[in-house]
Amino acid sequence: MKLSIYRFDPESGKPPRMQAYEVRPEAGDKKLLDLLMRLRVQDDSLSFRRSCREGVCGSDAMNINGRNGLACLTALDGLKEPLVLRPLPGFPVIRDLIVDMTQFFAHYHSIKPWLINSEPLPERERLQSPAERERLDGLYECILCACCSAFCPSYWWNPDKFIGPSGLLQAYRFIADSRDTATAERLDFLDDVYRLYRCRTIMNCTEVCPKGLSPSHAIERIRLALLRRSS
Amino acid sequence: MDRHSRRLPMFLNLAQIRFPIGAIASIAHRVSGVLLFITLPVIALLLDASLRSEEVFALLRKLLSSPLCVVAATVPVWALVHHVLAGVRHLLMDVGVGSELARARASARVVLLAAPVVALLFLVWGLS
Repeated sequence: MKLSIYRFDPESGKPPRMQAYEVRPEAGDKKLLDLLMRLRVQDDSLSFRRSCREGVCGSDAMNINGRNGLACLTALDGLKEPLVLRPLPGFPVIRDLIVDMTQFFAHYHSIKPWLINSEPLPERERLQSPAERERLDGLYECILCACCSAFCPSYWWNPDKFIGPSGLLQAYRFIADSRDTATAERLDFLDDVYRLYRCRTIMNCTEVCPKGLSPSHAIERIRLALLRRSS
Repeated sequence: MDRHSRRLPMFLNLAQIRFPIGAIASIAHRVSGVLLFITLPVIALLLDASLRSEEVFALLRKLLSSPLCVVAATVPVWALVHHVLAGVRHLLMDVGVGSELARARASARVVLLAAPVVALLFLVWGLS
């Protein structure tokens, strides 16, 4: 299988380049990550992140033939050759396919991704009805791989001001949680021309989410919650 | 972004990114908006001039019905139709109508197809 991979070595002082590779998949190689691991045996200077190899840790997000995805969830069958691998678009490249996610996680941190409840602690756990629990489906599954934010034109142009689809999905995850009592404060924080309203409903986020989630739907729910509050 | 990150390269070559249909409809919305911004003042000036006298009206009418002008006018017609349809699509999606991925893809396809079809019909009508 022929591949073309983005290479960048910060110590060389040279600009990034594309390097051609050829590797033969062996029996049992089903996913792109299997092939990349085989490639690393050929060239141990090739750098990429990976950990769980089953779409849970979100480490191996990259641009695969022009679309963001997880190498561990991308089937080798049907991939167009030469397979072109580049780092996540719009993120500073540290080395090869490894990007700097500092900004991305700063946005995640800004939405206070933890449960806030000012009421006295109950004796046992805070209970939810099955319907209340169901409202978290499609939100809590986000693995913070950044495939969505790195495919969002609004995030490309305003990475420092727009929270991005991933952070906004996480923000809605806590707004939708019946046990959280900080909804008003959360909405106050998001009600900003850049933080929330840079979203133009292009829906690139939902197109590429490897977990099949819909950040654009979460953003829509936040906007409607703000609208309901103001009317 | 810290100073270290600013020195690092970044991959953001739009020609090497495979955009979904929604993104194409969105960028065409912007392009059509820019075209309308440029052409609408010209059209308003022409309308203003045509209302000054019967002679100017007749002259402009003759000029604008020339094949070259009809072909040139196809571009703002496309821009107008695309911009209105894509704008309405966005307004509906803002209130949750058709914002589910399959529907959003379908409506993007409709908008991208409808505008050239209307522009083509205008061209046929203008040249006939």
